[in-house]
Amino acid sequence: MRTALLAAAACVIAIGVVAGQVGKPAPAALQDWSGVWQMVGPTVFDRATVQPQNGRAGDPGVREFPPYTDEYEAIYRKNIERIKAGTFPDPISVCGVPHGFPRIMNVPDVYEFAVTPTATYVLAENGPGILRIYTDGRKHPAAEELWGTYTGASVGHWEGDTLVFETAGLKGSRDKDVIVDRTGLVLSDASRITTRMRKINDTTLEAVIVVEDAKALKAPWKVTKQYRKLPAGTWAWDYGCAENNRNPISSSGKTLTLGPNGKPLDKKVN
Amino acid sequence: MTFTRVIAAAALCAATVAPLAAHHSAAMFDDGKVVEVNGTIKEMQWTNPHIWIQVIVDTNGQKTEWSIEGGSPNSLSRNGWRATTFKFGDAVAVRVNPMKDGGPGGSFIGAKFKDTGKTIGRWE
Repeated sequence: MRTALLAAAACVIAIGVVAGQVGKPAPAALQDWSGVWQMVGPTVFDRATVQPQNGRAGDPGVREFPPYTDEYEAIYRKNIERIKAGTFPDPISVCGVPHGFPRIMNVPDVYEFAVTPTATYVLAENGPGILRIYTDGRKHPAAEELWGTYTGASVGHWEGDTLVFETAGLKGSRDKDVIVDRTGLVLSDASRITTRMRKINDTTLEAVIVVEDAKALKAPWKVTKQYRKLPAGTWAWDYGCAENNRNPISSSGKTLTLGPNGKPLDKKVN
Repeated sequence: MTFTRVIAAAALCAATVAPLAAHHSAAMFDDGKVVEVNGTIKEMQWTNPHIWIQVIVDTNGQKTEWSIEGGSPNSLSRNGWRATTFKFGDAVAVRVNPMKDGGPGGSFIGAKFKDTGKTIGRWE
């Protein structure tokens, strides 16, 4: 019996080591980010640089000015031209792929932020959209154990009332199914992002996002997003994107509009 | 909440909500053009990712079905809309940004119920 208990204990320790959990203590008092929140402003990612100033993501000619390398500036310009031609689809229109990071911090509808001693979860109603930020002391997986995903791997810690986390393991635009916003912004699979989140008053959460990307950016790109708390009792709901998706993508990248019989209303499908 | 208050709240909120931002590019709609669709409600599809209002337009006996797209039921419900806001047989005028290529579809702007004169969305 004693041997069995020792073996079990050894297993638990081994699992803990593999998972990289070093048992960092939780913050003495968890931050209260309860409630339902909504991003302030439209879905232009970097509102500080958008041109024209009231431009909406997805409208022809609207763009931002990240410190892109020449290669990624050219990609962005090409995307902008595709928007003008109506052939730059939003990857999420297919209903099934996540927004990815950092776009998950830049979506419409509402958010919930669940703070626990070992992790904080960003729950975007518009989805699928979950960002897991582990604060249990673990490190990022070693490079050979990390592969590019939509939302990546986030680890963080608390500095007083501020959650600081770093996100790595992002697939970026490698497979052409992740964008940062609908103006055509994209990042590469080398992106690594540091975010500082805190409550700046009772009804406002702020996320300061610093993007570094050795392929796409010449310098760190800092963007600030804010989220306003909605009245107590506000509901967040299930978002079943595939429930009745009447906007499929054609082979040319055009977003179609289907009638109730499932046939395109568009006179030209491609 | 009474029906009147629902309409008032929805009208107020709709002016500040980009209804189609949630799911897809709006490139198919002409946001510089407004068309008024007069007809009767066939159904409202209260579904994600967008609601759809199906309106039958009778032009000298020739019937055309319009498909009018709105926001998600999630966001609309928080702005006063209900699954029963548009009911079968309601006589309505609906203003839309129409499809650029002339198809019988559009993006919802606002509507007026002909029997009550109530409006929802942006109407004036």
